[in-house]
Amino acid sequence: MNYVIIGASASGMSFAKELRNLDKNCNITLISRDENVYSRCMLHHIISGHRTLKDINFVEDDFFNKYNITWLKGQTVNDLDVNKKILYTDKRSVKYDKLLIGSGAHAFIPPIKNLRESKSIYALRNIEDALSIKDALETKEKIAILGAGLVGVDVLVSLLEKNKKVSIIDMADRVLPLQLDKRSAKVYERKFIEKGASIYTSAKVEEVILDETNDPKAIKLQGGQIIECDMVIVATGVKPNIGFIREGSMEINRGIVTNDKCETSVENIYAIGDVRGVSPIWPLAMKEGKIAARNMVGGDERITDSFALRNSMNFLGVPTVSIGQVNPPDETYEVLTEEGSEYYKKIVYKDGVIYGVILQGEIDYCGAYIELIRNKIDVSHIKYDPFNIGYGDFFEISENGEYKFKAVV
Amino acid sequence: MKRIKIDKNKCMACYNCILACMMEHNEKGKDIYSLDLEDKSNECRNHIEVNHSKENIPIFCRHCDEPECVNTCMSGAMKKNPHTGYVEYDEEKCASCFMCVMSCKYGVLKIDEETKSKIVKCDMCENRETPRCVENCPTRAIYFEEV
Ligand SMILES: Cc1cc2nc3c(=O)[nH]c(=O)nc-3n(C[C@H](O)[C@H](O)[C@H](O)COP(=O)(O)OP(=O)(O)OC[C@H]3O[C@@H](n4cnc5c(N)ncnc54)[C@H](O)[C@@H]3O)c2cc1C
Ligand code: SF4
Ligand code: SF4
Repeated sequence: MNYVIIGASASGMSFAKELRNLDKNCNITLISRDENVYSRCMLHHIISGHRTLKDINFVEDDFFNKYNITWLKGQTVNDLDVNKKILYTDKRSVKYDKLLIGSGAHAFIPPIKNLRESKSIYALRNIEDALSIKDALETKEKIAILGAGLVGVDVLVSLLEKNKKVSIIDMADRVLPLQLDKRSAKVYERKFIEKGASIYTSAKVEEVILDETNDPKAIKLQGGQIIECDMVIVATGVKPNIGFIREGSMEINRGIVTNDKCETSVENIYAIGDVRGVSPIWPLAMKEGKIAARNMVGGDERITDSFALRNSMNFLGVPTVSIGQVNPPDETYEVLTEEGSEYYKKIVYKDGVIYGVILQGEIDYCGAYIELIRNKIDVSHIKYDPFNIGYGDFFEISENGEYKFKAVV
Repeated sequence: MKRIKIDKNKCMACYNCILACMMEHNEKGKDIYSLDLEDKSNECRNHIEVNHSKENIPIFCRHCDEPECVNTCMSGAMKKNPHTGYVEYDEEKCASCFMCVMSCKYGVLKIDEETKSKIVKCDMCENRETPRCVENCPTRAIYFEEV
């Protein structure tokens, strides 16, 4: 059996390892544009200089040897013929019996006037991006970041460490709008400003003002405000890498559509991770890798977890965890908060179920919330402080000594 | 693999396991005389939770078959050792993102007090046959068994 994998990141690598563990004899070929294996989530540490490419490798050094995988690195898949079961890279063609697509996503550059035309425009998705940003910083001093989501703020923090003059701009009324509320965002905003950042929230970019050589000179906001810059970094979301898929050959809806076994609409082709365009986070790409491998060798395992509203962050020494609906959609939800000088906790609650949690400053032992929120577990039997709910309240032991969550009746 | 099994009804919250863990991981010496309970660099890797029914619940890393902390770790610092079955943590690799703290749904993990950049996690007492907490438990609320 010839298995071919596209992608050498979270999804492709997790799949490859599991597949080899399940089937010692099959042929596995992995094709990736990436020439190295590295964790994209750590690219901002390359910009800041805290880590090298080698330091952000997230697998064993001898991975491909150890798991007996042929790696066609530095090759881009340009075309896929699902009828002939052949794919074409820029260098050669490769036949497969079964194909795993883990081609991930690329940074989306929004259609803002002069943005795509401008020089010195960067995004952060690949190691090449991180290295070219790092290079550019040798001469650039005033950097504008478009988008204050997790990637934008990762970049912001790495640039502040380099003592650059950084502006960050977002349409929302706060930084990290998907993860935080105003109160918890403020804690970070204050720290960023202290370190020299300029923050523009509720701000819409109208255009990039260019000089004669098409280098950016400034960002113009709606309403006319001008933010000077000599470099722009775009962090406004991602789009799935599906350029090699022939139109009409596979069901696409934003990303590749799959069922809960990770199967696409084409037999023997599976897709996982960011390329599905639904929940682009690392843990799900890793988990789907295992599920897809098990199903591809004949198993029947389902994705039971597509819960993507979960993030932890650790900026300037303040850790925060954000799970679920942290901003209540309407007044029927109860909002409980607790705060001190060093911490803030918020629970969004309704009819005995916790819908969202923000924990800032203190996050130790907080994991039970993820299960309670993901599975909408009723906690109304716990009459005391909802801020002190823990796994102990749902304690039960499995046969093999593992924990499980006791069903609440 | 072997796992530390738990019988919560026998747990008296005597904290012998906590002290054992601290002694075993104390860089200044493994005996009780070298133990400084206020030394922030020497934290216990497990804890006892008191739940809403006032029961004592030993929260000890399960070294899960499908560990969510490993799944979620973006740096490769959390790894399941295929030979021993134990989930090992490499602080050199760790990116201090704290995804694992959020993702272990049993609430086992915490950030270290001293540097606020590392994860405090059970290592099954690397150099011992039986983890020291188990040896120190007077009631057999925790015991060590092949699973
Ligand atoms: C700066 C940054 C910070 C992040 N922080 C977090 C975080 O804190 N938490 C979190 O959960 N997630 C985070 N993410 C998101 C996380 O990195 C992704 O969810 C994860 O990388 C998805 O993995 P993937 O394997 O699906 O795809 P990708 O990581 O996008 O990998 C795609 C792979 O496919 C290859 N490829 C693509 N197209 C082709 C082609 N045509 N031919 C051949 N090869 C191809 C690429 O070279 C690459 O190897 C962050 C991302 C970035 C950029
Ligand atoms: S830290 Fe939690 S998820 Fe990880 S192995 Fe231990 S019990 Fe399992
Ligand atoms: S804090 Fe360290 S060990 Fe935990 S998930 Fe992040 S990188 Fe992995």
